[in-house]
Amino acid sequence: MIASIKIFFEEVAHLAMFTFQFFKQVFKPSYEFKEFIKQCYLIGYKSFPLIGLTGFIMGLVLTIQSRPTLVDFGAESWLPAMVAVSIIREIGPVITALIFAGKVGSGIGAELASMKVTEQIDAMEVSGTNSFKYLVVPRIAAATLMLPLLVISADVIALYGSYIGCNINGDVSFPLFILQVFEKLSFADIFPAVIKTFFFGFSIALIGCFKGYNATNGTQGVGKAANAAVVYASLGVFIIDMIAVQLTNLF
Amino acid sequence: MEKSSAYKLKLGIFVTVIIAVLIVGIYFIGDRKQLFNNTFRVSGIFKDINGLQVGNNVRFSGINVGIIEDIEQISDSTVQVSMLIDEDSRKFMKKNAKAIIGSDGLMGSKILIITAGKVGEKSLENNDFIETRQPINMDEIFAKLKITGDNAASITGDLAAIMENIRSGKGTIGKLFMDTTFAENLDKTLINIKQGSKGFKKNMDAASQNVFLKGFMNKKDEKKEKK
Repeated sequence: MIASIKIFFEEVAHLAMFTFQFFKQVFKPSYEFKEFIKQCYLIGYKSFPLIGLTGFIMGLVLTIQSRPTLVDFGAESWLPAMVAVSIIREIGPVITALIFAGKVGSGIGAELASMKVTEQIDAMEVSGTNSFKYLVVPRIAAATLMLPLLVISADVIALYGSYIGCNINGDVSFPLFILQVFEKLSFADIFPAVIKTFFFGFSIALIGCFKGYNATNGTQGVGKAANAAVVYASLGVFIIDMIAVQLTNLF
Repeated sequence: MEKSSAYKLKLGIFVTVIIAVLIVGIYFIGDRKQLFNNTFRVSGIFKDINGLQVGNNVRFSGINVGIIEDIEQISDSTVQVSMLIDEDSRKFMKKNAKAIIGSDGLMGSKILIITAGKVGEKSLENNDFIETRQPINMDEIFAKLKITGDNAASITGDLAAIMENIRSGKGTIGKLFMDTTFAENLDKTLINIKQGSKGFKKNMDAASQNVFLKGFMNKKDEKKEKK
């Protein structure tokens, strides 16, 4: 019991040091710009089809599911506004971040862990390359900047899904739908939701890199690292979301 | 190198499109908030704003032309409400336009309604104060309704007393309705009048045949024929 608590605190200390090292390295010159662009492409662009499809289904299903309750209240015309607010404020960022954690977090974890256990990282260090700067920094930076873009695209696609959902049972023209959506939206809905996705992206890639970079026990460790990366990244998303809600309510 | 520029192109298009979408979305919301539009500011002083909030719509001729920008209590019984209104509708709002707080439907949020002033007056200027009318408060309506109800109750009470008197045959109208001897008397009186008037007619007929009055009667007949 005491041993497991000790391990937990040591892990937290390691993670904190890892984060500190990231911030130390990210502003230091000799930037790995090419690697950063490549990671942006792999992390951002390659995740787009998956996240677009999820977003579309999210909007469609949420609209169809909310409809009966609103019809009971005779508030059917509120459907677009209600779905838009819930997608943009909460469901879009969180669901996208979870999918992103499943795809990118595990990918980073497995990739770095296999490099670690096959001693490729040690080889880089020996040959004089700063492995942290080359492997970790571009991945975290790319994920931090790409997740907000993916969330915005998922929001837009989800709203289109919602438009189709509205037109399955009812009849709402596209201009009217857009009008009703933007009538209820304010900057207070968009900006906190976008800002928190930076933190989601950062924590997902950070945990993925941390678990991969510190993998042990050979091939077994690769699977463990990938698994742990997804689990803790998803947990991190929810914890950050809870903090973000409290902070948003302050203002 | 060829492959590297291909993914750079894809990434560039991806990032540009999404940022463009974000900017369009922000513009749409800002447009509704009228941040990027030409606006002018008008204030009004109210005693009671009935739960009006910052951000509520300002309506003029049924069109949403602006929003409530700020609500400030300036003394114990006065609240200053300032609103931002679209510059385009300024020319229709005259100096003597009035602002009233109403609500959007029975359950809807509060709105501020501006009624057009008289034709010929000058238009409102920026930072002008607008005349206000007290909003109709539901509690006031109920208070007035209670007074009306009380009055109605006392009126019906009086009416009941009057009806009671009538039924028991008191007073003139009561006698008219309820007293049978009164009716008989009236009947007798009418018979007497009838007989009296019959006698009077005989007298008059006799008079017209009278020698002394014959000349006068003939003259009257001649006048009728002339006409």
